[in-house]
Amino acid sequence: MINQKPGHDDVAVLSIASRLRSAATSLRPQRAGVVYALTLLVVILVITTAVVGQPAYLSSTNISNILGQLAPDAILAVFMTVVLISGNFDLSVASVAALAAATALETIDTLGPVPAILLALAVGAVVGFANAILVQKVGVNAFIVTLGAMTAVRGVVLIVLNGESVTAKSRSLVNIDSLVLSVPFWVGALAGIGLLALAFVRFRQARRASALPLDGFFVALIIAGVLVLVVSFVAPELLTQPLPVWLMVFVTLAASLGLRFLVPGRKLYAVGSNPEAARLSGINVNLYKMAPFVLSGIAAAAVGLIYAGRFNSVDPNALTGTELTVIAAAILGGTSLFGGAGYVGKSVLGTVVLFTLSNGFNMLNLGSNYQYVVQGVVLIAASAVYTVASRSRRRQKVADLAPATVVTSAKETE
Amino acid sequence: MVVVPPSAHHHDTPGSPTLEIRNITKTYPGGTQALRGVTLSLRPGVVHGLVGANGAGKSTLIKIIAGAERPTTGELRWLGTSTDWRRPADAQSAGVAVVHQQSPVVPALSVLENVYLGNEATGLWRPQDRIAEFAALCARVAFVIDPHTIVAELSVGDRQMVSILRALAQNPALILLDEPTASISPAERAGVLGAARSLAASGVAVVFVSHFLNEIMQICDEVSVLRDGQLVDEFDAAGMSVERMVSGIVGNRLHAVEAFKPAHAIGEVVLDVRGLRSTSMGSVVDLEVRRGEIVGIAGLLGSGRTSLLKAIFGADRRVSGEVIVNGESISASPERAVAGGVAFVPEDRLSQGLIADWEIWRNTALADSRELSRRFGLIDIAKERALATRAQNDLGIVAPSIDAAVKDLSGGNAQKVVFAKWIYKTHHVLLLDEPTAGVDVAGKADLIKLIRDLAARGIGVLVVLSEFEELLSLVDRVVVLRHGAIEAEFRADDVSVAELTASVGGLA
Repeated sequence: MINQKPGHDDVAVLSIASRLRSAATSLRPQRAGVVYALTLLVVILVITTAVVGQPAYLSSTNISNILGQLAPDAILAVFMTVVLISGNFDLSVASVAALAAATALETIDTLGPVPAILLALAVGAVVGFANAILVQKVGVNAFIVTLGAMTAVRGVVLIVLNGESVTAKSRSLVNIDSLVLSVPFWVGALAGIGLLALAFVRFRQARRASALPLDGFFVALIIAGVLVLVVSFVAPELLTQPLPVWLMVFVTLAASLGLRFLVPGRKLYAVGSNPEAARLSGINVNLYKMAPFVLSGIAAAAVGLIYAGRFNSVDPNALTGTELTVIAAAILGGTSLFGGAGYVGKSVLGTVVLFTLSNGFNMLNLGSNYQYVVQGVVLIAASAVYTVASRSRRRQKVADLAPATVVTSAKETE
Repeated sequence: MVVVPPSAHHHDTPGSPTLEIRNITKTYPGGTQALRGVTLSLRPGVVHGLVGANGAGKSTLIKIIAGAERPTTGELRWLGTSTDWRRPADAQSAGVAVVHQQSPVVPALSVLENVYLGNEATGLWRPQDRIAEFAALCARVAFVIDPHTIVAELSVGDRQMVSILRALAQNPALILLDEPTASISPAERAGVLGAARSLAASGVAVVFVSHFLNEIMQICDEVSVLRDGQLVDEFDAAGMSVERMVSGIVGNRLHAVEAFKPAHAIGEVVLDVRGLRSTSMGSVVDLEVRRGEIVGIAGLLGSGRTSLLKAIFGADRRVSGEVIVNGESISASPERAVAGGVAFVPEDRLSQGLIADWEIWRNTALADSRELSRRFGLIDIAKERALATRAQNDLGIVAPSIDAAVKDLSGGNAQKVVFAKWIYKTHHVLLLDEPTAGVDVAGKADLIKLIRDLAARGIGVLVVLSEFEELLSLVDRVVVLRHGAIEAEFRADDVSVAELTASVGGLA
């Protein structure tokens, strides 16, 4: 009886249908809602702009424009997601970014670009570390700690800038920010083919009953592969982007692959899901609760540098409110506020949704007054869809559970 | 409290049934038959015991009685008329009250406020009007408590009594006690059991569900045994015996494994605890466990059993002392302990031992990321899944596949997953805190065999178990813990359950 392996005895090789069915679960609204939202939004905007007689919405110029605008927030959203997965919260990112920008611009003319940049990143790391210590070691709630940090750090920015904006003489930051990198179209084509090939390999692997069922990663590979191919052949000019956009792409890829395929990523999810079980399994919970704050601080500083480079100047109220946009993006992407669940790729898509909305409003000359109403409604609607869909899924689960009961009984009667 | 034996309660005229369950079946969407034609009759003044393994259909039957599920076919007759409850509120207003294993109480409110919560009668809450009524309720179950005590200050057992009072305040004709004693200490169980008897004596029909067969023996007038969604045996107090219940529950399965204690070799000292004290321990402890040896820790709830295990594992801050595993001193952190070959199976599986939402295979890989990964910290999913499959076969984990979430598993199977997390990497010491709590008879036998196998492999086992009979049948040696200190030590063969109970309670 001990050697029985329920469920698999009769299915050594899974059918194609069952493989695709397991992949399809990742396409349910509560898993892929942000993809549908984005698709719907783009379709609506493409049609409306065409009807109204505006320039084509999906033009390379407009897409590049949106990408450039959203890159800093998307980078923040990636690290916000990491913090949220660990079961914490970071409201201080926008203030930290402003402080880093102020630090760099104040010091770059005297210290030179490299020390100024390092100093700015160090400032971000220090604030992140302070947040981490207060949350994990002292035990104050993360919401309160980072709300305090958000206010206090903004105060420091005001002190440093003496209430006025600052402009640097050195053009180094501007040059870095506007550095444009081009990827040849054949590299893009190869990358697209590579992604599709990986998807095919996973599909083949999934034939074995013992293999991991096909999941969202498989679907994401196919979508990403097709997108990259389309871009490479139809609009290769999109492969020429400024450094911040490439940084966003790199950070998103690195974080999502790291979270999925590296042991620390797995441990981060474990710590966020159930810190006590993780601790009693020998995982260093302190490390995995604290490191995300430090990373988030450094990333915020990097975003501050991008911002500083964009205008070569920063005013005391720069980036105010960005932390909320970033958290909204993570929530749109389905990240749990309770820790242990979330995907950085989806949070980046959440950022894309928010920026597409505001871009669309601008293109249609609808005025920014309505924009916030729509953003707020979209956010709440997304959360409602996730909540309702996962509730009805839980009900479905109860029904799915029943087979296990039968197996139990069968076992006992042997 | 004295529990009156059931024989004193025989009714000459049992009265017409409060609830009749007639040929009930329950088929879930997806085709699973949880119940296959169950007929039961619950009468006033009778304590009706309901036993069965996890998955036997017990929970479904309870849900149907409580109105939380509707039967697929068959009929429910309430006080002689056919009824169709669509939601728990329907059953409740008809007169069914349910007390669960851990019924929710509001910790911040007083006992009185909890008992009448949602049943305040008028918009204005006037406690003094309810005191007399409350006293009458308490008298019915022979329970004494200050109605103004804040529930947060009560023990788990007293909270359970508050739940029972709350159920009683609805003046039910049928009360369903669903494992009411599972999470409370043996000393407090008598109160709950006595309450069940008193309720029956006052004319209520009582359904008593428990894994503790001795409790069933003690208080039930009649017993129904469920297996595979069917009633396989029914008997009254006269025909009742633990053997009959066990064979009904497990079918033809061998359950002798629990009683048979194989001889095994005991080697050198593998765990040496010297002068250990943590922030949550009341006293300094010295202890040795040898390879292949199973050492039990006996003590009452609050005697510091869990604290001792956690101190050894380094999960609580260490104040003094040393833990030496296989000759090496281990500093106080779970990470160091795990690296040193120590494993800990905590008391509460789902909140401390496992990540409930995760699949079996990610849980079994939780403690062993180094062995299971490739270079550069790259996760080796194939290896992790192979381990889970191996564990499923080795330990007989009953689940649709290794992709099933552990929260969907029965208690025994979830516990096997916790064991699987450790057994392929732990070479020295296994710390077990109530490893068989909430596990059905069949699962228990599997776990006990597993613990013995691990000891036979040369692992030193230190185990906390509240069921002394089970403890003595498992261990070689038992230490008695009182107020955090080791007060006595026995060889398992030299001590009886009665002597151990006396020692634990400070009587010997």
